[in-house]
Amino acid sequence: MNLKEWIFTTDHKRVGVLYLIGSIAAFAVAGIMALLMRAELSTIGPTITANPSQYNVWLYTHGAVMILGFQIPALTGFFANFCIPLMIGAKDVAFPRVNALSVWLFYVGVILALLTFFIPDPPDVMWTGYPPYSTITTGNTAMYSFTVLILGFASIIGGVNFLTTVAYMRAPGLTLNKLNIFVWCTLAAFVLQLIFVPVLGTAVSLISMDKYLGTNFFDPTKGGDVLTYQNLFWFYSHPAVYVIFLPFIGVVYEIISVHARNAVFNYKMVVYGGVGGIVLLAGEVWVHHLYVSGMADWLRIGQMVTTLMISIPVGLMMIGLIGTLYKGSIEFNTPMLYGLGVVFLFLIGGLTGIPLAVPSLTIGVSDTYYVVGHFHYVMAVAGTFAIFGGVYHWFPKMTGKMYNEFWGKLGFWLTFVGVNIVFWIMMDVGVKGMPRRYYDYAHFPQFESAHQWMTVGAGILAIGFALAVLNWIFGAINGKPAGDNPWNSPSLEWSTVSPPPHGNWPSPPSVSEDWHPYGYKKG
Amino acid sequence: MAHDAHHAEGHAHAHWDTSIYPFIISFGILFLAVAFSFKFVYHNGFAAILAMGLGIPMIIAGIAGWTSEAMGKGEGLSYGAMGWFILAEAMIFVSFFVSYWYTKLHVDVWPPAGNVELPRTMPLVMTFILVASSLTIHYAEHLLHLGNKAGFRTWYLLTIVLGACFLGMSVYEWSHLIHSGFTISTNAFSTVFFSVTGLHGSHVVVGLAIFLAGLPSVMRGDIDEGFMRTAGLYWHFVDIIWFFVVSQVYYW
Amino acid sequence: MHDKIRRGAAGLAALLLAAPVWAAGAGAKSEPKTVDPARDWDHLWNEVIVDITIIGILFAIVTAWFIWQARRRPGNEVGASPKLSPASAVGWVVIPIFVFLSIDLYTAANGWVLWNTFRDVPANRLEIKLEAGMYSWDYTYPNGVRTQNELVVPAGTPVVLRMTSRDTLHSHYIPDFRVKEDSMPGRITYLWFNPTKPGEHLVTCAEYCGVMHGYMAGRIVVKAPEEYAAWMKGEETSLAAATAPAAVPATATKPAKTAAKKT
Ligand code: HEA
Ligand code: HEA
Ligand code: CUA
Ligand SMILES: [Cu+2]
Repeated sequence: MNLKEWIFTTDHKRVGVLYLIGSIAAFAVAGIMALLMRAELSTIGPTITANPSQYNVWLYTHGAVMILGFQIPALTGFFANFCIPLMIGAKDVAFPRVNALSVWLFYVGVILALLTFFIPDPPDVMWTGYPPYSTITTGNTAMYSFTVLILGFASIIGGVNFLTTVAYMRAPGLTLNKLNIFVWCTLAAFVLQLIFVPVLGTAVSLISMDKYLGTNFFDPTKGGDVLTYQNLFWFYSHPAVYVIFLPFIGVVYEIISVHARNAVFNYKMVVYGGVGGIVLLAGEVWVHHLYVSGMADWLRIGQMVTTLMISIPVGLMMIGLIGTLYKGSIEFNTPMLYGLGVVFLFLIGGLTGIPLAVPSLTIGVSDTYYVVGHFHYVMAVAGTFAIFGGVYHWFPKMTGKMYNEFWGKLGFWLTFVGVNIVFWIMMDVGVKGMPRRYYDYAHFPQFESAHQWMTVGAGILAIGFALAVLNWIFGAINGKPAGDNPWNSPSLEWSTVSPPPHGNWPSPPSVSEDWHPYGYKKG
Repeated sequence: MAHDAHHAEGHAHAHWDTSIYPFIISFGILFLAVAFSFKFVYHNGFAAILAMGLGIPMIIAGIAGWTSEAMGKGEGLSYGAMGWFILAEAMIFVSFFVSYWYTKLHVDVWPPAGNVELPRTMPLVMTFILVASSLTIHYAEHLLHLGNKAGFRTWYLLTIVLGACFLGMSVYEWSHLIHSGFTISTNAFSTVFFSVTGLHGSHVVVGLAIFLAGLPSVMRGDIDEGFMRTAGLYWHFVDIIWFFVVSQVYYW
Repeated sequence: MHDKIRRGAAGLAALLLAAPVWAAGAGAKSEPKTVDPARDWDHLWNEVIVDITIIGILFAIVTAWFIWQARRRPGNEVGASPKLSPASAVGWVVIPIFVFLSIDLYTAANGWVLWNTFRDVPANRLEIKLEAGMYSWDYTYPNGVRTQNELVVPAGTPVVLRMTSRDTLHSHYIPDFRVKEDSMPGRITYLWFNPTKPGEHLVTCAEYCGVMHGYMAGRIVVKAPEEYAAWMKGEETSLAAATAPAAVPATATKPAKTAAKKT
């Protein structure tokens, strides 16, 4: 193997694999931060560090790296890169060098985020970076701003690249209604990125400008306004949750239709109602993160309705997913277990968002562990399961080899049990009043045993995730040969050899009139 | 454009395409980010200069290598891609303007204390120049389309000159204001004024840089029409944004 | 086999519609005597939780049943999902939209009512100014009496806090009253609560405000009206006796840890 051809590669599959390695490494680091936090919270008072700042730095890296360094790059970096050109029958992306630039910018962003552990006065502004704290802290806010800016820029050029690729480079005969659901979902996510990331970039630049260059955007004594930042930040960061949700549910669609060997239920409903509806609504709900932050009342009430209405397109996507199971022929292998796990766990996560959408109820539970429980179910659990399931699903295509089913299933069940312990208890203590971002909960002694259970659960799920990663590593090195199409899928990416060569197909494929990525036939 | 790396080797398909420049540019950017921290967070000017000294040459070398490696080998898709990119760019300006309005409408007194009289005629002249440059590049493209390369070159150079004039006037105005005590940290309005005009100015710089990157090929005469159309599109965008800037920060 | 889907869908729709109706019945039983947002909060919270639990269980049961019937058996190596007719394809969009939208609007309407309860402050209120800072709560009564980290209020009188901050964001959270709202420099925000009977309630900071965020606690002491009057008398006299500078509480320098220990 030629290392130079990996590091400087411009091939979409290798860029994708680089994204995968980087984002899983980021996940491991941020996951270890989570374990340290859980260890710290296992008793009242100092447990493993006596310095609250230390905890805040862990929490900052955990949140920022999990979202910006793990999930978004894994979904819109790895899966998009590896799958989209193969699924649309293209040789590569439109701009292979731009693609290489985006993966290396991603690495640079992650390096900046991890420098946190080595610099004096590391950033401690939480992943939200709200001023005025972020502009007066002694922590290095510039590091936060640049991390976000660089990762955001990487994502924008990736988005430009893929939108162009799918617009112009589809195989002959591959009409829009024959695109895989995953492709639709990811394109929608890229549209959201293009519209909203620049706003985030602006927001985080402004705090560093205020802090270091003497501007007054958020300084009320000079005519600025603190709340501007929160509006800008959430104007991006709510859509960002759909940037995560859309590709991950797309991955689950692929997993479930392939392993149930069934056509996607009501394809057009899923694409135009589900994906389209989410794109339309994503930008009009950000105020639900500002229900208790002193926004104008009319905005809060108005966006309550739009936020609740998000349940409609998401609900349609759930119906499509569940309908795909109906009369299928399900094989319960590891990717399918993760896929089915997502269906149940996402229901919990999504539905617990409904009370949060009502401002009068949020007044009680905002900024408590209830919210932390909600978003871990919906994002950290459902999203990560989808990513893990997806890696298993395309593992034979990527490596030409097979992972180990036994260890795969064992890893799944351990995490499944673990996440429910941790995040269910979290919601419960949250409703009872436990606020988030607490290094110490001395005035809530009644929650100590709950926190201990959560720590135990975190240990269990960590073993499960580690087993999965080890399974991939061993599988890639000496797994059994898998063949080109072990799942017998008609989707285009399985029609080439595994792993696909440079250029993907000896001659570019074209598809016939009656072909469909979900066209399962008897025989 | 990805299939140009294999002629060094006899057996074409054993090798995968590579390009070293994206890697170099990315790490150049890393050094810039680190330089910012050295200068403004740790107040270590020397280390900052050192990091810049690494970063800036890396970025310039990367861009130069990239353009020479890829120029003329595009697949004609950059025009469509530029449309998406402009959407993203426009959102940056939108967020600046919206936060400006948000701040402005919420406070009781506007503008806040410390303001100076902004010039009234200068921005009109600048508008005129920028619009003119948009027209000249459009005309240049038209000539190129007709195959008139010499004419193209003339109008292309004229566009660059107009853009440079605009930039010069901006710089003049900035220094004038700063000398009269109106700086970016005076109050919330000055902050908006300098950051929005500065952001727009940086787009003018990028636009000019794209034109300059194309200049060698224009002089040689092997002009890539797709590249020129894309560069022109970006320049029109910079022009249109200016209307918002001028109307919002100077006259509203 | 079409029938099965259709029947399932009809049942699902009926149950989904039934949930809010049922919940509405549960909500209508309680005629409020005094306005108590905390109690109304509990009602609405329970309602919504019941709603989403029903929705969740329905979806989960259908999923589990589909998984069970669709497990791979010899002879069915390929799925056999029915091809939807155009009419049923449209129906599968329109009907769910209708059902989900009605749940959404119903929830929104209830939320709107409770929202007004939380935002419309009764006229017979006690107005208190609150300045939050790293890391203390500084209250000022209408008559100029100040306290820190401990707010004494009379039972039966609604209390409204007009809040601001001298440094970073903070959020005055009183779990027992289910209420919180951020405070920040440059703006004045408010929240109100109705302490109905004497007792003590924890106040805790819910917005990340700095290193000691987790220690920023205080308490609300609700006293019977007579006791409150007596306490206020005492405070007023000591306020009058003290010279002006001494009345200013030492704030930022005081470690918040001691404040937390008190509760
Ligand atoms: C992938 C990520 C993801 C996703 C998909 C969602 C989805 C949703 N989220 Fe969540 N959310 C986050 C990630 C995500 N969220 C994060 C990270 C935060 C915290 C950030 C921070 O502060 O640090 C957060 C916080 C958050 C808040 C702010 C809480 C607070 O800080 O006070 C709110 C409030 O409205 C909210 C609501 C919702 C809603 C209504 C949905 C909806 O999209 C859910 C829709 C899904 C369903 C409803 C279930 C399936 C549908 C059906 C079964 C149909 C029938 C159902 C009905 C008719 C109700 N979320
Ligand atoms: C996708 C996002 C994501 C993911 C996956 C997770 C995963 C986890 N999170 Fe986190 N979390 C957030 C996003 C996420 N989180 C965000 C955004 C916040 C808010 C931040 C803020 O307030 O600003 C938060 C906050 C947060 C808190 C709140 C702290 C507080 O408010 O004070 C807690 C507390 O327990 C927590 C715990 C956990 C745990 C135990 C996991 C576990 O699931 C993690 C398990 C993973 C591992 C343990 C790694 C496993 C190891 C490997 C894969 C390596 C194997 C390799 C080899 C063997 C070679 N998270
Ligand atoms: Cu004050 Cu947190
Ligand atoms: Cu949101």
